[in-house]
Formats: sequence, C-alpha cells, structure tokens
Amino acid sequence: MNIIYTILVHIVWFLSTYFVIVFMLALFSNRKKLYYSPKFEKDDELPKVSLIVPAYNEEASIADCISSLKRMDYPKNLYEVIIVNDGSKDKTAEIAKKYASDNIVLIDNSGNKGKARSLNHGISLAKGDYIACMDADTIVPKNILRKTLPYFKDKDIGSVTVSVKVRFADNFLQKIVRLEYILGLSLFLKIFSLFNCVHVTPGPFSVYRKSMLDDIGCFDPKNITEDLEIAYRIHKSGHKIANCMSTAVHTITPHDLKGLYRQRRRWYSGALLTLWQHRDILKSNKTGLFGYFIPFNYALIASGLGLFLFSSYLLLSNMLRNLSYYSLTNYNFFSNMTFDFDLLAISMFLFFGLSGIIGTVLLVSYGLGVVRKSPKRRPSLYLGYFLLFFIYQAFWLASFLVVFMRRKVKW
Amino acid sequence: MVIKKSIFAYAAIITVLLLISIYSLNFYLDSVREDAVVNRMEGILDEYQEIQALSLMTEVFGGNITCLSLSNTLSYMDKNLWETGIKIDKYREATEQFVRDPFYLEQKIKFNRNEIIYLSMLKKMKEQCSINQTVISYFYKKKEDCRDCDAQAFVLSDLNKEIDSEMAMFSFDSDLGLASISTLSLFYNISSFPCIVVEDDAYCGLKNKNQIVDIICSYRNHSICSG
Repeated sequence: MNIIYTILVHIVWFLSTYFVIVFMLALFSNRKKLYYSPKFEKDDELPKVSLIVPAYNEEASIADCISSLKRMDYPKNLYEVIIVNDGSKDKTAEIAKKYASDNIVLIDNSGNKGKARSLNHGISLAKGDYIACMDADTIVPKNILRKTLPYFKDKDIGSVTVSVKVRFADNFLQKIVRLEYILGLSLFLKIFSLFNCVHVTPGPFSVYRKSMLDDIGCFDPKNITEDLEIAYRIHKSGHKIANCMSTAVHTITPHDLKGLYRQRRRWYSGALLTLWQHRDILKSNKTGLFGYFIPFNYALIASGLGLFLFSSYLLLSNMLRNLSYYSLTNYNFFSNMTFDFDLLAISMFLFFGLSGIIGTVLLVSYGLGVVRKSPKRRPSLYLGYFLLFFIYQAFWLASFLVVFMRRKVKW
Repeated sequence: MVIKKSIFAYAAIITVLLLISIYSLNFYLDSVREDAVVNRMEGILDEYQEIQALSLMTEVFGGNITCLSLSNTLSYMDKNLWETGIKIDKYREATEQFVRDPFYLEQKIKFNRNEIIYLSMLKKMKEQCSINQTVISYFYKKKEDCRDCDAQAFVLSDLNKEIDSEMAMFSFDSDLGLASISTLSLFYNISSFPCIVVEDDAYCGLKNKNQIVDIICSYRNHSICSG
C-alpha cells in the first residue's frame, strides 16, 4: 500500500508541477500581449452577426440581459437578437416581448426542449455570418462584438471566447467562485488559447463562425455540456478557438454549496461523457496539442482524485484509530497536545505537498497580479480557494460515480 | 501557436530540478537525523558509564552519598531513554516510505540492547541503594503481528508524561531477534503481545491507563495513585 501511495504522490506531483510551470512560463512570456486584440480598421469591415439567447424561466434576469444587448456599440442593422423562449412557465416571454423590435425577435419552442435544441432553433433562423450564443442571465459590455469579431479575420479561427466574470458576489462562497472565474474562465482560457487548447466555448458568451457550424453541425442536444462538446468538434475540424481577454461578460453563479454542487456535477459529468464521446481525439493527429492536453488534463484530475481519496482514507483511519486510543487514556487530550515539533520527523511527502501549495499560491498571486481589476489578494481568499479545491474533489467523485452508474444529470 | 515549444522543455527541466531538490533536502535531513540519533545514543552510553562508575563507587566508598547521585542520574536516564526510543521510531517512519534504511534498524537494536544493560544495572542499584523505583518493561511486536501494540504504546506514552522519578519505563521490540530480549521474555513468561512487566510480574493483553495505574499502585504508592 505504501508503494502505491508513493507512486501516486510522485505522479500527481510531477503532472501538477509541470502543468503549473508550463503555465507560469507561458504567462510570463506573454504577459504584455494578454490584453491585445485585433481591430476593425473601418466600419465597413463589420460583419453581420446573430445573437442567440435561449431562455427558460429567466424573468429575473432577461430584462437586464436584453438591455445590455441594446446598449452594444454595433450598428443595429448589422446584428439581430433571437430570444428563444424554451417553454418558460414564468413571465420570461412577456418581458422579452416588451423589447421586441426590428432586430430583437422572440421565438417560442413548443414546450421545454433544452438549451442545445433552443440554440439550434435560433441558429436555424439566424441570418448573420457569425453566431453569438449566450445565456439569458449574461450581461454583455457594449464593445463585445467589436472586440470579438475581428479575431475571425484569421480564417483558422472557428470560435472566439471571452472572459467570464461573476456578476454578484455577495457571500464568501461567491467571492471564492469569482476568484475561480477570474483565473479559470479568463486568464487560464487565454493561456490555453495560446496553446490552441481551449477545451470549452463557455455558455455565457461565445461566438462561432456560421460556415463552420454548417460543416460540423450545431449543438448536440444529447450532451449536457453542449458548450464543451462543440469545442471538441471545432478542434477536430481543424479550426482554432481564440480567447479575447480585453472584454468580459458577467454572469450569475450559484449562491450556495448545493447550487454549486448541481452546477459542477453537470459540468464534470458532462466533461467525462464528452471525453468518452470523443475518445478518438486521443489518437488523432489533426487536433495538435489539444490531443495531448486532454489526456494530460484528465490524467491529472483522475490521479489527483485518487490521491485525495487515498489520503482522506489514511487521515480518517488515523483519526479514528487515535480517537480509540484516547478512549484508553480517559480522553486525556491535553496531555498529548504538547507542541513537540521536530522537523526531522517530517516525511518527504510533506515537502511534496508544500511545494505544490507554494506553486499554486505563486500561480494564483501572479495571475491575479496580471489580470486587471482583480480582487485584493487577501489571505482569506487563498484559504477559501484551497478549501474549494478539496470540495471540488468530492464533486469530481460524485461525477465519476454518476457517469459510472449511468445516471442522468439534468440542469 | 504563439507559445514556443521550448517552454515544454524548460518546464520539464525545472520540474526535474525541483524533484532533485526535494530528494536532496530529504537526503540532507536523513544525515541530520542519523547524527541526532547517534548523538543521543552516545549521550546514553556516557550516562551508562557514569552509572557504572557510581555503582562501583557504592561498593568501594559506601552508599550514602553515591546513592543520592545515582538516583538523580537514574531519573534523568528514565525520561531520556523513552524519548530516544520514540525518536528512533518516528525517524524510521519518516524515512521508510522512500528508503528502507538499515541504519534505524541497527540503532533500534543497539538501543534495545542498551536498555537491557540499563535495566540490569537498575535492578542491581535498587538492591544496593534501596531505591524505591517501580520498573515497567513493555514487550511488543510489529503492527502486523500485534494489533494492539500501537494502542498500548500510546497509553504508555501518555502515562510516561505523568510518572514521577520513582518509575522507570522500558520498551523492548521482540522482532529484533536479540537473544537478550528473548531470554528476558522467557524469564518473565511472556505468552502474548503486548505485554507489560511490572516488578517481574507479566500482564499481557491490552491494558488501558486506569488498569495500568491500578497495577502500578498495587506495588507502591506513587503520585499518579492519588488521582
């Protein structure tokens, strides 16, 4: 058992340390170019774009979403907004109708069809050369189209993603998730794009080349993470996914652990199912670095989860054993709580753990330093981020079980 | 791609260098551990010589003054011995996941052998100086062969923090293959493990703290008996 644990520690340490160092080097060497984005020189270069907004019971946020779309600094005759009411039972359709105009239309699905089908319905009616898909609780900045569309001047670009930030961070959990989004759905996506390894076109806002969608097909209605699944097909078709960090959309995140668990269980089990669905990517030469990044990423996740479970088992069994020992000493906790720290009694495992923690702290610190308008680097934030890391291990375990037991995951 | 491929090579080199640094740090700490254990053992051996000298002086010069010096040395030795045994075990645990270092096994053998020498000297001193000291000897085996030995060691470590200078505690690892320990086990009629011997009487099987205190207090009144 000791040998297995030792090997697992080495594997996880090596993969994660290598990953962090690659990231740090990529971030450092490209730190001045992160916020660069191409521009249209003249307005007659501006293409026609269709924005698809699927909505199911979004009465609380649809008005703000549409208002932000109306504020975009893009010629009204060059964009259309197609709101797809997906069988909402609240006042979503009623509110959306108030905003209907020449370039904002509301269409209804006959009943609740799901997000992928709603998007596909909207895309089928779209007239734009580019399709922007977004959530009904997303708030877009006015420059979103002027910032993202110029990327398509490169014919290889099939999709453009943007930074996704949290709109409301009222409690501690949301503040930690906000930090996570700043890193994971902004900075890390940018770094991934430099390697052409962007593995997801986030649902809050992503833009696609219409002709590419015509070739590869639209969203897969059978997949619960359609934004992730389409990214695989984009890479397989030989296209690239770019990331624009100079603009950001704001979205709503779960406000409690239960909501977060539901969200992540869908994300993680969707990711595993998508990996299985597109397992041929591991052998494909067409996808370039993406075909190596995916197995590396999931090997790290799986081994990390294995190590987490193994360590938890050892820790829990030690705690239970020690508790039973205390019962033999009349629960004399205080006599054994003498601080007898001996550096020489520390195992090498601790050094592995410490170096991992230091590496992550450095990456998070440097990342927050590079990202504009990032939150203050408070110790409580780092602590919360680490805590979230352990919570996510439990979410990953649940997702593995869900996939393994072939249970259906809903939104 | 904007990223240069050399990044992957540089990252691999840095990662390997970090791994080498961690191993180097561990090897350095290993040598410091070994030095710490050797220094403790040398300290114990020095004290044995001191005890032997005092013992000889008792025979030559009489017991009045030398017995007082002897009991002071003995009380220091008792605590030092137990702590040294714990340290050797802790350091062994810290290293054995990566390297099965024979050093700690050798030190354990040396330590146990010295304990037997000390135990024998202590018994002799008790007679010569009429020292009222309760001697507790703990016989154990490795976890795989003795499920309760860890628990018993925990209880005794807890007790060791409370015992006064009128008690001496020894631990003997029965897996070391030492003839002296086997002989001692035979002498005390040890049939199973863990086994505690108090004043030449063996009490085998896991005992909780209260039970051990009751056993000790049945021989002599100590400070822990009042509780």
